[in-house]
Amino acid sequence: MDNGKDSEVLSINKLSKHYSGYGSLFNFKKNIIKAVDNVSFNVYKGDIFSIVGETGCGKSTLSKLILGLTNRSSGEIFYKGNILNYNLKKLDLRKKIQIVFQDPYSSLNPKKKIYKIVSLPAIKNKIIKKKDALEHSMQMLKKVGLDENYVFKFPHELSGGQRQRISIARSLSVNPELLVLDEPVSALDVSVSAQILNLLLDLHEKNDLTYIFITHDLRLVRHMADKVCVMYGGKIMEISPVDKFFDGPLHPYSRVLLESILAYGPKNILQFADAGNININNINAATGIEKNNRGCVYYNLCSRREVQCIKNEPELKEYGDVQVNCFFPYYSSV
Amino acid sequence: MSLIINDLTVKLYTDFKKKEFFNVADSVSFGVQNGEIIAVVGESGSGKSFLGLSLMRLNPPYISEISSGSILISDSGGFEKVDIVKLKENQLSGVRGRLISMIFQDPNVSLNPVIKIGEQIVEAILAHKKMKKKDACDVAIHYLELMRIDGKARFNSYPHELSGGMRQRVMIAMAMVLEPAVLVADEPTTALDVKTSLQVLALIEKMRFEKNVSVLFITHDLSIARNISDKTIVFYAGQIMEYGSTEDIINNPMHPYSISLTKSVHGLSKDYAPRERLFVIPGTLSQSDFKSGKCRFYNRCFKKTKECLNEIPLLKLSSGRFARCVNIQ
Repeated sequence: MDNGKDSEVLSINKLSKHYSGYGSLFNFKKNIIKAVDNVSFNVYKGDIFSIVGETGCGKSTLSKLILGLTNRSSGEIFYKGNILNYNLKKLDLRKKIQIVFQDPYSSLNPKKKIYKIVSLPAIKNKIIKKKDALEHSMQMLKKVGLDENYVFKFPHELSGGQRQRISIARSLSVNPELLVLDEPVSALDVSVSAQILNLLLDLHEKNDLTYIFITHDLRLVRHMADKVCVMYGGKIMEISPVDKFFDGPLHPYSRVLLESILAYGPKNILQFADAGNININNINAATGIEKNNRGCVYYNLCSRREVQCIKNEPELKEYGDVQVNCFFPYYSSV
Repeated sequence: MSLIINDLTVKLYTDFKKKEFFNVADSVSFGVQNGEIIAVVGESGSGKSFLGLSLMRLNPPYISEISSGSILISDSGGFEKVDIVKLKENQLSGVRGRLISMIFQDPNVSLNPVIKIGEQIVEAILAHKKMKKKDACDVAIHYLELMRIDGKARFNSYPHELSGGMRQRVMIAMAMVLEPAVLVADEPTTALDVKTSLQVLALIEKMRFEKNVSVLFITHDLSIARNISDKTIVFYAGQIMEYGSTEDIINNPMHPYSISLTKSVHGLSKDYAPRERLFVIPGTLSQSDFKSGKCRFYNRCFKKTKECLNEIPLLKLSSGRFARCVNIQ
């Protein structure tokens, strides 16, 4: 894995996605929501790159942008040096980047048999012919540890873990190089999720895959990932190697996230009763900050904020091999 | 004791005409003290949600029935004692919400989407208490504020205007508004993300300390059980497999099933190296496990012996610690 590690698979440069909504029927003033704002990072071959953040921080929008499922507002995505534009067919993008969705109950077509679901991407991308569909899907099911007889079943006959295996098999059927995993185990039971995680790790080793692992569970990140990217309010707060991150993250928000996975007893947990869960738009409305302000998105909940944070917008800065989006990170230059 | 469950057995019919059934809860007995939180932990399909529903007599009619046992609920003063099993259908609505109430897993489904949240709470109060509507509104606002929601501003909002965590907090406010003795929480944080789920847990904990409510907390995540509960019941195929204080069960599990369960959770036991394959419990929980005369975990157990082929009683290990296994030294 080491020899290929330096080659970039995916490189994202100042990517933004803005949604515009209207306040009400007669209010024509545009209300812009920055779902992903000025994001840039690189993913190297063989990495498990994980994106963490709470609900609404833009991590799912980012995954949609990477797959080309929504149009971007500005910025560029490079796949192995080639720029991704809206002409996806030219690059055969679907053969190279695939996704596994969070909910295995709603991401499989209930009217189709398993072999049709699994082989459809391969047929559409002209990797196999239609008559080979059955054989191909049997091979795929073997790969993900399912019995071959499942090819003639319907999705409703399978359990949650088996369905998630099917959707992994479907995304592997075109031999992709990059797999986007959008919370693959959060809808599953404890022992089943252990099975799926083991399967994902096995496939990663055998098939030389690169993962973008989107999750809100930091315990999973510690187990799986090489790099952590923390997002908040559509922006990247910190990108850091896993071992450094769990030794002590530099950004105040990462500290809060890390605290939330520590073990608490019944009495110690009381301190979280007042935890703020204000989203960006509420913050802007509450403090009277202009909508197109230049301040830090995390200003209102931050423990280390100062006047500078509301006047200027911080940018990703490098501290060793850690990138932090903060003026006052927990960093001592010793 | 505010809740005493004694030898509760619930039948679930697979074929009603032929009288084929299995027991989703099989002689379950335990008690919950005033202001105590007990977690019920188990895989999906182990019957833990069914147990929670049976406590409210909300188990689906015709296909299931409580065949024996008793569920005794007494309010915190001890003025009123009720056996839920013996109540008639029309008496039940007087007890639900007032003595025992429930929070469900998915707040999106359990709130009425076309009624304002304030009115839904007021409706619950007025169904049980004779008071003016204005006073009931004040009570509702007070409880919303206890749940860290701006009561006056949010009183007139509809459920779709709130976030998932907020909706779940409205559910807790609605469940707590009549100050019940027992609260059944059926996976209230599964649909929420890490930070909001911590807040919901903290608020349930706060209700326990302030209102002295006993909580039966049903979850599949042992790390949540560790955060919130005093005692834990490990539930498998309708039977209590292990019972003891939460610290003991997580740090020193005795029953093979609890051992496997704690091992398969990443991050709970710290001895996993990065990318080491996690422990997986072989096989799955099937319906036939509910019927078998042997130990119900027999097919998946790593410690099984010949003695396991008999029905195994709940054995006492030490004071306040029970396990259903014969192979514990």
